[in-house]
Amino acid sequence: MTPLTVLVCDDDALVRAALRDVLTAEPDLEVVAVAEDTDEAIAMAERHEPAVVVLDLRMPGGGGTRAAAEIGTRSPRSRILAFSAYGDARSVGQLQRLGVTEYLLKGASNAEIVAAVRRLGVST
Amino acid sequence: MTSLCHAGRMTRTPSDADYRLLVENVLDYAIFMLDPTGRIISWNAGARRIKGYREADILGRNFAVFYPAEDVAAGKPVRELETAVAVGRLEDEGWRIRQDGTRFWANVVITALFGADGELRGFAKVTRDMTDRRAAEQALSDRRRLLAHMVEAQEVERRRIAWDVHDDSIQSMVSVGMRLQLLAGQLPAEHAAAVTQIDDAVRGTIGRLRDLIFRLQPPEIDEDGLARVLGEHLAQLGIAHTLSYDLAAEPSQETAITLFRICQEALTNVRKHARASTVDLAVVAADGGIRVRVTDDGVGVGSLERLPHGEHFGVIEMRERAEIAGGWLSIGAGRDGGTTVEFWLPAVGL
Repeated sequence: MTPLTVLVCDDDALVRAALRDVLTAEPDLEVVAVAEDTDEAIAMAERHEPAVVVLDLRMPGGGGTRAAAEIGTRSPRSRILAFSAYGDARSVGQLQRLGVTEYLLKGASNAEIVAAVRRLGVST
Repeated sequence: MTSLCHAGRMTRTPSDADYRLLVENVLDYAIFMLDPTGRIISWNAGARRIKGYREADILGRNFAVFYPAEDVAAGKPVRELETAVAVGRLEDEGWRIRQDGTRFWANVVITALFGADGELRGFAKVTRDMTDRRAAEQALSDRRRLLAHMVEAQEVERRRIAWDVHDDSIQSMVSVGMRLQLLAGQLPAEHAAAVTQIDDAVRGTIGRLRDLIFRLQPPEIDEDGLARVLGEHLAQLGIAHTLSYDLAAEPSQETAITLFRICQEALTNVRKHARASTVDLAVVAADGGIRVRVTDDGVGVGSLERLPHGEHFGVIEMRERAEIAGGWLSIGAGRDGGTTVEFWLPAVGL
């Protein structure tokens, strides 16, 4: 079975590394790249066309909504898991209009994160 | 002969001498006459009190002497007489000069006086010293500006703290939690349980920090209006509630924020401490301002005194916010032994 490819985007170094390790620990998931700002997230998505992008909503360079819109055109088969420390109803609404359906608050358990990534990967 | 009869009715019409007495003795108004060229031909006690000149010093001089040099240079005294002649009357507010050179803020009415033959006889000039009222208005407007700045500064500071908590504290806790879970998965069961407990504590903290961010975030009153923001906030409480909102106009930004922040604090107390099943929020126009009442049917005001030390600050902060805005706040008994927080804010900007 080929593993699901995942791109991890978070501007916080500790969270980025922890996310990468949590996902890498799962044999059916493969983290193909990590990005630390919005531009890098867009570039990495275009280059790797990952099955799933784990996307922090608040990042330098325009944040999750801009990244989601750009990734939607440059790597249309990638599905996005929005990952945020703060449940801002407005940005969630914006993301939904961009076709982002999976949304996790930071503080969700590792198991919930892994399950969300798998759910998105299956539907691609 | 002067006599009064039947319920204070005057028995005679006042004489010219009576009128002169009246005008000469009024202290609160400078009342005097100008001839058609603007020279002063009468003076009264009020004019002396307000402008400082004795009658002998001022009679015969042109009334332009009361105007600041820049107004004289701009031809304002002449223009004012011309206007009075053209339309009968002129009213003006502005700086005037006393005999000692100091300025006062004057309300001036110049009335053109025509004889029965239609010929201009001169002008009646009535001047009031409005300096105190102007200073009071200035103080009030300074106070409002200060309040607006303070409310704004507070909101900016809160937003900064919220983002600091978001960008730093929460992220660190999140990464620690993820590491702990990874670690727990690699440890034998007896150690894993201890690590999982630590992780639970970390996740509890993340939840509380998220609540803190939520409370610190500025309300979006600009876009949504106060009534809607209050309604949304009530809905998030998870307690049965009513909202009655009856204001003719949207309050000013600083009043709306002050009102929202006090309600937020009061409703946080209800949620955390009151064990209430319902809460009612009423916002009405009253006494030239806005009165707000937050009533719950919980365990009552007695419990407020037993709050942990830090929570008292919530009550102090509510009262301070109301008083800084020029209003008041009181806490008393609510329905069925519950609590009522009631406050009033002056309607600045309404």
